[in-house]
Amino acid sequence: MKAVCLLLTVVFAIGSGRAQEFLNCHDVQGWEQTGTKRAYVPDNLYDYKDGGAEGYLAFGFVRMQGIDCKSGGDSLTIDISEMSDADSAYGMFTANRDPDKPIVKIGMGGHIQPHSALFAKGKYYVEIAEVAANTDSDHSTTMRAFATKIEERIEGRTTPPETLEWFAKENLTSASLVPESVLGMRLLKRGYVAKYKVGQAFIVLEASPESAAEVMKKLREKFTGSTPAQIGDEGFQVKDKYLGEICIFRKGRYVAGYANMPEAKEAAALAGQLAARIP
Amino acid sequence: MKLIKTSRRAFLSAGLVLPVVGASSRMGLANTAMGILRTSEESLDKTPGSPAKLEYRILGRTGLKVSAIGFGCGFTSDTSVIERAADAGINYFDTARAYLQGNSERMVGVGLAGKRKQIILSTKSLASDKQGALKDLDTSLRELKTDYVDIWYFHDKASPDKVTDGMLEAQQIAKQQGKTRFSGLSMHGNQQQMLPWMAKKGVFDVVMTGYNFSMDSSMDQAIEVAAKAGIGIVAMKVMAGGFRFLKPSDPIYSMLKRDGTSLAALKWVLRRPNIQTTVPGITDMDQLEENLKANSEPLSASEEKLLSAHLETIKPIYCRMCGKCEGACQKGLPVADVLRFLTYADGYKQFAHARESFQGLAAEHRAVRCGDCAECTVQCPHGVRVSDRMARAQELFA
Repeated sequence: MKAVCLLLTVVFAIGSGRAQEFLNCHDVQGWEQTGTKRAYVPDNLYDYKDGGAEGYLAFGFVRMQGIDCKSGGDSLTIDISEMSDADSAYGMFTANRDPDKPIVKIGMGGHIQPHSALFAKGKYYVEIAEVAANTDSDHSTTMRAFATKIEERIEGRTTPPETLEWFAKENLTSASLVPESVLGMRLLKRGYVAKYKVGQAFIVLEASPESAAEVMKKLREKFTGSTPAQIGDEGFQVKDKYLGEICIFRKGRYVAGYANMPEAKEAAALAGQLAARIP
Repeated sequence: MKLIKTSRRAFLSAGLVLPVVGASSRMGLANTAMGILRTSEESLDKTPGSPAKLEYRILGRTGLKVSAIGFGCGFTSDTSVIERAADAGINYFDTARAYLQGNSERMVGVGLAGKRKQIILSTKSLASDKQGALKDLDTSLRELKTDYVDIWYFHDKASPDKVTDGMLEAQQIAKQQGKTRFSGLSMHGNQQQMLPWMAKKGVFDVVMTGYNFSMDSSMDQAIEVAAKAGIGIVAMKVMAGGFRFLKPSDPIYSMLKRDGTSLAALKWVLRRPNIQTTVPGITDMDQLEENLKANSEPLSASEEKLLSAHLETIKPIYCRMCGKCEGACQKGLPVADVLRFLTYADGYKQFAHARESFQGLAAEHRAVRCGDCAECTVQCPHGVRVSDRMARAQELFA
């Protein structure tokens, strides 16, 4: 038992050591570290993030390293979370970003605001936040400086998941990874959702065409009264009280479609266009 | 019927759930228990396919009539789930400024648009001062697309010193400005101190507290004190989230996540005295429908057995604080105290408090390493694996 604990400690130390290299309050002149660096794994993330830990875990949280920095009367926290893969790290960013704010080019994408910064690069999700940020001062320059320095040290992908490119750009308001239950249905386990001024589109990747076909079968059972749609390998349309006009199709391993559309015809047309963009 | 009685006995004999409110069974419905003022039951068969009878209760001194099953909106996957829940009769929705950097509030604002007057809405602020709290509140109102929230909680305040005079002043200002109706405090740990403190303080209308069937009877006592003072009691982490000492990798954690077990755990909480509403996190429609069953279906004998089995599983690590181990350790360790410290960390996630408590032990006790003893002289009558637990405490805190 002791040997196992020791091994886990060593493994964690090796893994976390890499993340700790990213953290340095001296990245920006005038800032000093306060206290010791923090380290969290899935088992104790609740200690730090409270109920918010569930969001991290849903996105495949592996470990987090954190540090507190101080400059005069200002202080900030920097947390770097290693997620299971780059898609999950980007998903974490999209789940936490303000859809009304523009995405800036830091890593795969980021946000720089007066009192906080977020970005994802490779399998890392980075959060920088001013502590007790209740003044009207703008510290976005500091936020950007820290984010830029940290980004330089992180290796990994710098482009968003390819799947997002398949969504239509016109009238798009946000696109994100939903870690479970796309459209509020457990059947659609994990996928990308694009929100538009009207309606939303989704793309779920299943393990195989067969499992995708099985999901389609269950969806048809769930939505009684659906009518077939000639989109992709198979498709159907239906109207739901809460999801509006829906058009769902399968193309290979992908289950995708549109929901919350006011018109059935439009839902089918947009779904057809989406199917054409999915390889 | 015999099965039910046997099951109840087994469950109660686990000792983790001893009733403290008079002689009322901890397993049974407590219609007359203090703090619960049930007013009516209504049939709300509004959601196709999920005929649900929701029960409404009065939330302490607020007088708010809340559905016994509320909706924790922290990680809801789609606004349609929130809309369906409202149509199904759930009228209490809870979110927080901190959930997904405000995106939870944004989703709730969209999901409940047009339904504001028929629902009771709460949010929370992690702020630690007056200015920050009031700024958070304004942001929350903007994101929630509303002029007011019914309950505004200070989020995760597990010790009195985390609640400053400035924060209390913020609660009053917010009420005076009509931005909030009632003030609240949320906490995941240290309830045994915080709930009596809140009752004495007299300025809070509602508490949102972690509560589930794995907790010991001291939790019920603390809740009763708060309820008697008129504080509305909202239970959170009623299911898997309460098993802090069961890690995601633990098979029991997975079992709790499986269909059936979580439902049983929710049913159990709904039938506890003094619990007026609950806020299980609801991700999707499937979970919503399952939760609705908790109010319309009884806690069955098989579900009692299921919960009992879980308690049996955690028995080796859970101290009942009976005191029978006192003086049994050959090295003189205060075993019950150390087990309690471990519960602070594992059960109530108060690691700092746990370590501090451990460090308060006499130096000769702090220096003991149970692995050095060839044989442990402490035999727990309830089956706690004392030497293993002591070793864990020493590993964590020493």
